[in-house]
Amino acid sequence: MSDMEQCSKTSEGLWMRCPRLGGETPFTYCLHEAGELPCHRIIVCWQTFFPVEAYLRKMLSPQKWEEFTDRKPKEKIASLLELIEEAKSKWDEE
Amino acid sequence: MEQTKVVLADNEIPRQWYNILSDMPTPMSPPLHPGTGKPVGPEDLAPVFPMNLIEQEVATDRWINIPEPVLEKYLLWRPTPLCRARNFEKILDAPVKIYYKYEGSSPPGSHKPNTAIAQAYYNKAFGIKRLSTETGAGQWGSALSMACAMFGLECRVFMVRISYDQKPYRRLMMATWGTECIPSPSDRTRAGRKILAENPDSPGSLGIAISEAIEDAVGNKDSRYSLGSVLNHVLLHQTVIGLEAHKQLAQIGEYPDVVMGCAGGGSNFAGLSLPFVRDKIHGKKMSVVAAEPASCPTLTRGPFAYDFGDTAMTTPLLPMHTLGHDFLPEPIHAGGLRYHGMAPIVSHLVKEGIVEARAYDQIETFAAGVKWARSEGVIPAPETNHVIAAVVQEAERAKQEGKQKVILFNFSGHGIIDLSAYDAFLSGKLTQHRLTDEEIARALKSIEGFPKP
Repeated sequence: MSDMEQCSKTSEGLWMRCPRLGGETPFTYCLHEAGELPCHRIIVCWQTFFPVEAYLRKMLSPQKWEEFTDRKPKEKIASLLELIEEAKSKWDEE
Repeated sequence: MEQTKVVLADNEIPRQWYNILSDMPTPMSPPLHPGTGKPVGPEDLAPVFPMNLIEQEVATDRWINIPEPVLEKYLLWRPTPLCRARNFEKILDAPVKIYYKYEGSSPPGSHKPNTAIAQAYYNKAFGIKRLSTETGAGQWGSALSMACAMFGLECRVFMVRISYDQKPYRRLMMATWGTECIPSPSDRTRAGRKILAENPDSPGSLGIAISEAIEDAVGNKDSRYSLGSVLNHVLLHQTVIGLEAHKQLAQIGEYPDVVMGCAGGGSNFAGLSLPFVRDKIHGKKMSVVAAEPASCPTLTRGPFAYDFGDTAMTTPLLPMHTLGHDFLPEPIHAGGLRYHGMAPIVSHLVKEGIVEARAYDQIETFAAGVKWARSEGVIPAPETNHVIAAVVQEAERAKQEGKQKVILFNFSGHGIIDLSAYDAFLSGKLTQHRLTDEEIARALKSIEGFPKP
């Protein structure tokens, strides 16, 4: 069973329309949206339905919690420029 | 017989886009290069955008001519009708006239082709052969696919896997228009291969898909990247919506008291509103409202406070309810929760107090969308439901205040390809209310075995 199939089956009562993707996603997707960290919108999206902040504090290690809360989304141009630099270096390596 | 639609003839289509940068009451800070800290220059963006679009990104001319080949394509569905929502007005029973621009009449069913067509044209004119992009549910990917087909460009769309699996119809639309739609993460790029090596079943994310699309574009001199929202030139292309609406309203002797649009990245909101924002900057009394997604119903029921303690261009549109944001731990409040996906132009206008942002939760928006479909017929795109919820709220305010109001909003797209979202809403699959302790315990238990971040 893939991660998403597992997500779909296990997220009883925890589905949200993701404003970023434009589709319905289970809470478990939000937990892993940024790889090892939850989506940066997870608290604003879910806090009204259940105390997700308390849940994350309990579930994440102190280090991960700090990483999660310290992350600052960049404005679009800045993130594009970073990705351009990353992509250029990947192609240079090849 | 009462008039319901105002339709412009083909030869009345606007010949120029409107550039709000020429009328901004205060200058916008230039974006800074994260590596050098210096203002971003054209050469920084050249690996992903053609120079003719980069010039538009920084242009300050008030009017920019729409090239004839772009107009020819626009005429396939533009000018779009301006409609009066008489049936919706009746069920709201409020002293309001509601007008909307129907952007669902484009071939992919949304406003997105207004910039996709322009971007495909400018890339073709610059000698580019292939465009890459990312897409979530596929609204942007399908618009760009159609535009590339029209200008003879190859198109490659990296679609977030979770959406790729959930949304077959949009990827089939892309395939029909000749696009290669690739589930992301993919084995086409180093970024994708790295993710797949760690987790072969990764459902993907927008971040990964963007990385793949950029890597794909940067690796080929004949390729470029295309973005469907946020950037200045995207908003510029979308102003054709508001310019048409301006003419249409003038034909029937109306002017809006309130202009509204849903705001994800800001392009459809800006497309309708910027020509009216120009009037407001020059003294016209009116309101301009951006309706954005938020899951907190309480946010829309009380006074908002916006945290503008940030530097320019990272201004949040996320409203913090003055009573309800205390739960946010300070580090999150200071950065993590701010919505930085919004167009800098729109953020700047909010900061200046010219545009007001309001937040609507998903259930409220779907309820408004269903009400709309049952009165006006068209099933709105879920994003469009946000502005319809805002219209409902504005009508209620007019009723309470006893004021006559003319409301204009952008009906950004139809929802025929998003019926699964309505299924989720109508079947109660979407989380509907604050969960009880028992429900929380049951829900969390159900995901207990899932890998922790």
